[in-house]
Amino acid sequence: MKLQDVDVAVIGAGPAGMAAAIKAKEAGAENVVIMERAEELGGLLHQCVHNGFGLLYFNQDLTGPEYGHRFIEKVMDTGVKPLLETMVVRLTEDRQIGAVNIREGYITFKPKSIVLAMGCRERSRGALNIPGTRPAGVLTAGTAQRYVNVEGFVPGKKIVILGSGDIGMIMARRLTLEGAHVEAVVEILPYIGGLIRNEVQCLHDFEIPLFLEHTVTRIHGEERVRAVTIAKVDGRRNPIAGTERTIACDTLLLSVGLIPENELSVMAGIRLDPVTGGALVDEMRQTTVSGVFAGGNVLHVHDLVDNVSWESELAGESAAKFALEEKPQKQGEISIKAGTNIRYIVPQTISGQRDVTLYMRVTEPEEMVRIKVGDIMTKGIRAVKPSEMLKIELPAETLKKLKDGTKEIIVDCEKRGGK
Amino acid sequence: MALENMFICIGCPLGCEVTLTINNKGDVVGFANNKCKEGEKYVLEEYRNPVRTLTATVLTQSSSQPLLAVRTNKPILKTILVQSMTILARTRVKAPVKMGDVIVPNLLDTGADVVASSNLSSWTKNEGVVF
Ligand code: SF4
Repeated sequence: MKLQDVDVAVIGAGPAGMAAAIKAKEAGAENVVIMERAEELGGLLHQCVHNGFGLLYFNQDLTGPEYGHRFIEKVMDTGVKPLLETMVVRLTEDRQIGAVNIREGYITFKPKSIVLAMGCRERSRGALNIPGTRPAGVLTAGTAQRYVNVEGFVPGKKIVILGSGDIGMIMARRLTLEGAHVEAVVEILPYIGGLIRNEVQCLHDFEIPLFLEHTVTRIHGEERVRAVTIAKVDGRRNPIAGTERTIACDTLLLSVGLIPENELSVMAGIRLDPVTGGALVDEMRQTTVSGVFAGGNVLHVHDLVDNVSWESELAGESAAKFALEEKPQKQGEISIKAGTNIRYIVPQTISGQRDVTLYMRVTEPEEMVRIKVGDIMTKGIRAVKPSEMLKIELPAETLKKLKDGTKEIIVDCEKRGGK
Repeated sequence: MALENMFICIGCPLGCEVTLTINNKGDVVGFANNKCKEGEKYVLEEYRNPVRTLTATVLTQSSSQPLLAVRTNKPILKTILVQSMTILARTRVKAPVKMGDVIVPNLLDTGADVVASSNLSSWTKNEGVVF
């Protein structure tokens, strides 16, 4: 395979990139490459040694490495070409890729289509503005996960975790099992940021104290973290004077959100959704730049890897079709807009011609709700939470009910009965 | 004397705080605050046999990969998770290990094996760009 002959280039070899590349190959694209800056396929799955992966996709309870392994084998079997230790540094609007690696130096080529699968990164201390000194011992939950699960050392003995995202709660359990003492998990919101099963199995099982509506207001220590001060917050998330308490600890882990990595997308002039931080896409997961598709956490942060795989398969399949037909497809004509209590919806536009799955998140937790998709569909749901992504299937049959010339569909999440 | 136990059901995002009442003979007398039947099934299981899959790592004798990811091949009682870790802390493995290989058979007489959930020394090697 020559670089000039590449049909589909996938950027990133985590769960999203592997699923996209495999599907692109299966959908008939002949020359598929997967470009990865690390030295192996699999992305962050290697360090996620806990279980809970694949419950939907494989109907089995797998660990991260087990889930990744199945895709790595398939990448190899289908004949996708991995370009490892190769970092894409340039992407242009006419689909020119520039990358560097240790063997060829700078390489550049123009594939027929591209799938963006760069994933996301963690929000760090700088994004939080916590006052205090700058001692050692403040790190993100994902970095701690790498230390404990891959490199083989525990980053501290007495630990406070800020944020109750899934990685934070999973690390609370993992560090406890490795002999550290987790003093507290501190969450600014009135509810946890991750899945309910993680609250029960990671925090309650080990009697780890959870402080809801609290935040860290100060970090103490010169060389090393000595303690943190936490305080209760009011409805506007401002600390309430007089509620402070200081917890002695040597480590503060941050589990305060993930940000899609879209530097390359911006470079290529792809338009982003200010809410998701990912590209604006149509139902085929095509971005605003023709022939460039996106899937997984680079598009919007998922809570389950199973959905990352499915979404990226769609992006990979679309990229293969684009490469084979070599003709630009149109972005969908109908906008999907977030209405009452909906934070975002992906895809942002649809054609109205095909079956679509809407991936969405709510703004506030609510019980007994009805999701209304314009006036063509409603669906009752028992409970919704911002941390649990909703999937609503919209069959092409249902979309036929749209009036001709519909330009916009508003999706609302309303409380059932009354109001 | 009836005894009340509280459980959070993980069946759906509602996370009902279900109360389970037990009489002094240890029989289940009733459930409260579960918004559906699923909650009763979950709570009974959590009361009688609360099990979890243990996932962890063990040390290897390889310099390039200091740890091997492991898991129990079936769930074990949550009350013995911490004790199980002391056994894994003493365990060392030598390459090659393949995913699924038994690392600790019959962990603490539970009938569950600790098995490898990653490979040791069979990383996907970089073949370079051979264009
Ligand atoms: S009892 Fe039913 S409604 Fe309540 S959390 Fe469990 S599954 Fe959900």
